[in-house]
Amino acid sequence: MMLTAIAVGVLCLGQGVSTRNASPEPKVALSGRPFPVTFMDIAQQAGLRMEFTSGNEETKKYIIEANGTGVAFLDYDGDGRQDAFLVNGWRLEGFPDGEGPTSRLYRNEGHGKFRDVTRESGAGHSGWGSGVCAGDVNNDGLEDMYVTYWGKNALYRNEGKGRFTEIADKAGVAGDGKDWSSGCTFLDYDHDGLLDLLVTSYQAFDLHKTPAPGKGSNCEWKGMPVFCGPRGLPFGKVTLYHNRGDGTFEDVSLRAGMRIPEGFYAFTAVASDLNDDGWTDIYVACDSTPSLFFRNNKDGTFAEIGAETGVAFNEHGFEQGGMGVALGDYDGDGKLDILKTNFAGDYPNLFRNLGRGFFEDSVLKAHLGVNPQFVGWGVGLVDLDNDGLKDIFQVNGHVYPELDRREGKERYRNPRLVYRNLGKGLFEDVSALSGPGVAEKKSSRGASFGDFDNDGDIDVLVMNMGEPPSLLRNDLNNHSHWIKVELQGTKSNRSAIGATVTIETSKSRQIDAVLSQSSYISHNDSRLHFGLGDESVVRSIAVRWPNGQTENFPSAPAEVLVRLTEGSGKTVSMPLPR
Amino acid sequence: MRITLLVCVLGLARADAQDAAALSEQAQTFAEQKRLDEAEKLWSQAIHLSPDYFPALFNLGYLYVEEGKASDAEPLLRRAAELSPHNFNTYYLLGVTCRSLGRSEDALRAWRSALRLQPNNLRLMQIMSVEYSKGRYFREAAELATRALNQKDRDPNLYFLAIKAYQDAGDDATARELAKQTVARFPDSARANFEYAFHLQKDGELSNALMYLKKAMKTDAHYEEPFFFYGNLLVDQDQSAEAIPYLKKAIENRNDYVPARVVLARALMKLEKWDEAIAELKETMQLDPSHPQPHLLLSQIYFRVGEEAKAKDEKQISFKLRRENPSILEALQSRPFPQN
Repeated sequence: MMLTAIAVGVLCLGQGVSTRNASPEPKVALSGRPFPVTFMDIAQQAGLRMEFTSGNEETKKYIIEANGTGVAFLDYDGDGRQDAFLVNGWRLEGFPDGEGPTSRLYRNEGHGKFRDVTRESGAGHSGWGSGVCAGDVNNDGLEDMYVTYWGKNALYRNEGKGRFTEIADKAGVAGDGKDWSSGCTFLDYDHDGLLDLLVTSYQAFDLHKTPAPGKGSNCEWKGMPVFCGPRGLPFGKVTLYHNRGDGTFEDVSLRAGMRIPEGFYAFTAVASDLNDDGWTDIYVACDSTPSLFFRNNKDGTFAEIGAETGVAFNEHGFEQGGMGVALGDYDGDGKLDILKTNFAGDYPNLFRNLGRGFFEDSVLKAHLGVNPQFVGWGVGLVDLDNDGLKDIFQVNGHVYPELDRREGKERYRNPRLVYRNLGKGLFEDVSALSGPGVAEKKSSRGASFGDFDNDGDIDVLVMNMGEPPSLLRNDLNNHSHWIKVELQGTKSNRSAIGATVTIETSKSRQIDAVLSQSSYISHNDSRLHFGLGDESVVRSIAVRWPNGQTENFPSAPAEVLVRLTEGSGKTVSMPLPR
Repeated sequence: MRITLLVCVLGLARADAQDAAALSEQAQTFAEQKRLDEAEKLWSQAIHLSPDYFPALFNLGYLYVEEGKASDAEPLLRRAAELSPHNFNTYYLLGVTCRSLGRSEDALRAWRSALRLQPNNLRLMQIMSVEYSKGRYFREAAELATRALNQKDRDPNLYFLAIKAYQDAGDDATARELAKQTVARFPDSARANFEYAFHLQKDGELSNALMYLKKAMKTDAHYEEPFFFYGNLLVDQDQSAEAIPYLKKAIENRNDYVPARVVLARALMKLEKWDEAIAELKETMQLDPSHPQPHLLLSQIYFRVGEEAKAKDEKQISFKLRRENPSILEALQSRPFPQN
């Protein structure tokens, strides 16, 4: 018998998630400059002891157990200290009545201590929680919160005096209860001075219609049976609610064009003016599908232009497992760039803003392709060493705990990553120089960036699967200067979400944006933090308010928090209680 | 199609079996005369008369494989394998059948049985190594490629197979070492120089990599890969203008080289040579109408120049093609290894 040659055709075994087996790019030699940042995990001593629940931590049967939750730094009681809100999940087998976990709110009592105020605040509901965003929806000067769930979502109206009331159903933003919502962001898309709300759904998840692990082509990871998805499962959607100003919202998704794009698994939503036209746009990181860029058409509608502008795929047109998003100007050109974390076996994206809303993936050029082995989640473009350049902090964690029982290098719990910005658009991996809080291995998801101890540097609050959070205190050891900027809208929404701030010293200009959500379905400290290096004075501050108007403010000294109120033209220094 | 009858006549005592043998023999004659419908009919009759008659089962199974009727072939070959568990060809064909049915795991299982029968079959090792890699069994792919290489280290193709397997397995150090050995052993092989250059650039040794790429281009001016890769490296370093001649040479060497055409279009886009980029992309679309990437880039160009409606149309075509052929971008994504 003679067999004819048989061509080897293209055949890819299915996997549920987008990955491409990318190798780590070579690490360039370190600059040799000392890195003055040391992160210490002080969650336990600070009193942040809630253990996150997100399904089974030995074996994940369904994808709902894998994605974890977001966290938030916010000042809910207006005392000048960043409090901590931790979204909690659930488990498949449920809990006895009254014993289920809830999300938790911890009040920052100062001096590094937090107190659990969940019960008295009314912000602790049970359910399979996902993400969180914050903003002042009724312009009363108090920060409200929205929390997404698999099921109905929650809107917590801040009543003052440390109390919240859950009003999602009454306000019309609870959703239909069928979706697994993930991201959310408040934004004022129509310049009416009221915060509207965008909610992303990861998928219309139905436990009873989802195959068991290994039971399908999207239910394997490198030959190992694992939970199915996201590929093969029903897609998610984006919902836009317009704030009527009377305490209720209207679902305008269809009218606004949010339902035109189809076929995505949406996570983190970020709202900011990405094309510099004075109107707030939206970027959504999507898992294993093209990510979305909704350009504000200035008429109450949006156009999805992710593919056209270069932010839907990587530079080769490849779909990626997008998770978290950070916005920031990493190259000092005055434009906000987009950093997106992705699944393992892939690089993150560093979408450099070329202007007018066009982007180019510069991840390899920036030397950020050195750690593709991790599943990246929460991420921040933040100045960790106050040198005036935005560094990167990224938390990681695989989605398959089964990896811990298998040979190979992949593990469920991973260390964090820190990249120092060297200037000229280049980064170096300084994780090994950044202290035990970075080296500790967790399967992390959400991360929030803020200065909880008001000592002038950026700390990090991290969600860890099946464990208490990490509170990574930045023990910065240098004499670099800094300034914090807090915005208060009057014509614009009170939280000034969607505003951008440009500060100028004698040596440099920096820009940053006020966001309602970023990182991985999390909310950051709303005060913008700028490192100033050896500059002790900010010569001028310009604010582009969410309504598109630009206002200039006078100079300010370093080492203060300045409050800029829309229309005042004044720079007011605020106390920073420790 | 050439089919040689397998000799398997031992123990044919029963009349049915004798009839089946006669029918099968006649079918074989028809097959050799390319009268395949008649051959199929006779082999089917033979199996009807004697369901366990191996030659009829095997040959009809093989006929179905050749005709692309994998679903029909599988039960016949599976039964044939049960009846004659020491027949290499049956397991090999069963593997081919399972793979064409999209069941890579079953294909590899059948091929493992075949390899046990012919443990030195280099061709099968090559095929299995590629299949293991595609199924992301990278370690198994690398082990098999090494085994093949250890048997016959005079064949540069086996080196290339092993290099790719280790590269897929994430073991870049071994892949690089193999590439180094390959270029030392086959210094005048353009491909060997190219492989080593590829690993040098991965390790950040760009100037060394460019040196080997230049040697590869000089050694074989008709080998497209080094030209493409050299040009691609230049584009990545924002040297788009310098990259263009190399990319054009790669395309001259292989007109349907879509990755090179796509990178050429990207280089032209970086230089804001919109008309040239559009022309390049349109030509690429004609060469490969199923590829989504030219449409995506065209969408980006139209958007840049303010033609949003055309941009949207191209985007939608790109998305449609992407859905229809999801693996095509994975091929573009990876470095362009020729088929092993």
